[in-house]
Amino acid sequence: MIIGENIHKSFGDLEVLKGVDLHVQPQEVVVLVGVSGSGKSTLLRCFNFLEMINEGSITIDGKKVDPKKDNLTKIRAEVGMVFQHFNLFPHKTVLENVIEAPITVKKMNKEKAKKLGLELLEKVGLSDKADVYPSKLSGGQKQRVAIARSLAMEPKVMLFDEPTSALDPELVGEVLQVMKQLAEEGMTMVVVTHEMKFAKEVADRIIMIDQGTIIESADPENFFGNPQHERTRQFIQLVE
Amino acid sequence: MFELFGTVFEVFMRTYPGFLEATVVTLQLTAIGVILGTVIGLVFALMKISGSKILQWIANIYITVIRGTPLIVQIMFLYFGIVEIYTMSNFWAGAIALGVHNGAYIAEIFRGAIQGVDPGQREASMSLGMNRKQTMQRIVFPQALRRSIPPLGNQFIITLKDSSLVYIIGVAEIFSLANREAAQSFQPFESFLVVALYYLVLVMIFTYLLRWYENRLDVDKT
Repeated sequence: MIIGENIHKSFGDLEVLKGVDLHVQPQEVVVLVGVSGSGKSTLLRCFNFLEMINEGSITIDGKKVDPKKDNLTKIRAEVGMVFQHFNLFPHKTVLENVIEAPITVKKMNKEKAKKLGLELLEKVGLSDKADVYPSKLSGGQKQRVAIARSLAMEPKVMLFDEPTSALDPELVGEVLQVMKQLAEEGMTMVVVTHEMKFAKEVADRIIMIDQGTIIESADPENFFGNPQHERTRQFIQLVE
Repeated sequence: MFELFGTVFEVFMRTYPGFLEATVVTLQLTAIGVILGTVIGLVFALMKISGSKILQWIANIYITVIRGTPLIVQIMFLYFGIVEIYTMSNFWAGAIALGVHNGAYIAEIFRGAIQGVDPGQREASMSLGMNRKQTMQRIVFPQALRRSIPPLGNQFIITLKDSSLVYIIGVAEIFSLANREAAQSFQPFESFLVVALYYLVLVMIFTYLLRWYENRLDVDKT
């Protein structure tokens, strides 16, 4: 679904990604872990072309993307992204947040979009909040709206950038629950998270990124039970 | 003390019919100055955030020149400059000068408000597949507009007071009336005290209205 090959990304003199190869299969749930500054969020943002790679290539759904020629707007529409700080549109109601892109980008008619929006809000358990503004929601509710907003574009793959890191501990569960449900429905997902319990339960594959390269890639059982790399062992000790 | 109070009151009672008329002129000047300034400001703010180096350069020159010279000089310059080419009433020459002056400050207000919108908003919008134009129109501008209302309100109040400077080209607003009254009645102190009170009351009224409006905006959103 996503093929990243030899991805290099620098910010000025700082090389954040040093040649990363990553193949994400359809319906696969890949969890990216690593200490902060390791490059995992940057990798995720490259997949959505919010950051442009300096070297290498990215193929999405069988199509190799050329950032210079291709319409990135179209590609982004097919790759959903959920942010650490939700980034809901504060001047729009919950339902308006969800149906904004289908109406603006897909030119869906308003009635149809509303129906879709309410279905998605139902799915994340927030249909009763359709007409309130985001400022009235808790962090967990905001993030669930953000997920519904992304799903409204019917993306082929969903990227999650530390979706629970800005939440109070008691609100983490409701967001992970929604993500777990998505995974069970067969959504292709790439998730950057520090929630190891989620990684163990939901991930098909856990990937450890350290200093801009992938140092470990294994299913949860082997990742936690039999880590190959010393840094991975240290990391697991640190988080458990 | 008591005597002063009496003479001020006497000046006030004698002059208020004229002052009320002149107040209308002051408010008209202020309104046109701010509305025209908003239009000009919006255009130059867009030029400043556009990718084009030439447009940015033009906007920078305009803003630098206007902010770097006194309003009274701009009024005189525009008055003699425009009236040379195109016949126009003093009122409109003054109003346009205020608009041109305000445009530079309001451009900076809008630019700050647009750039002050959380970059995450742009990213979220782009990640949903909205293009640059859609992102600007539907996500960034509405939020920037709301952010710019308090500083625009301040600018309105500054303009209300600045409009006194167009007395120099003979527009019959409240300051010029006080000026004339001071000369004719030989009561300059009382005359200027009265006009100060007019400005103070107007500013207080608009400050209150603006605060009320800002509070109302806050209740629902953000």
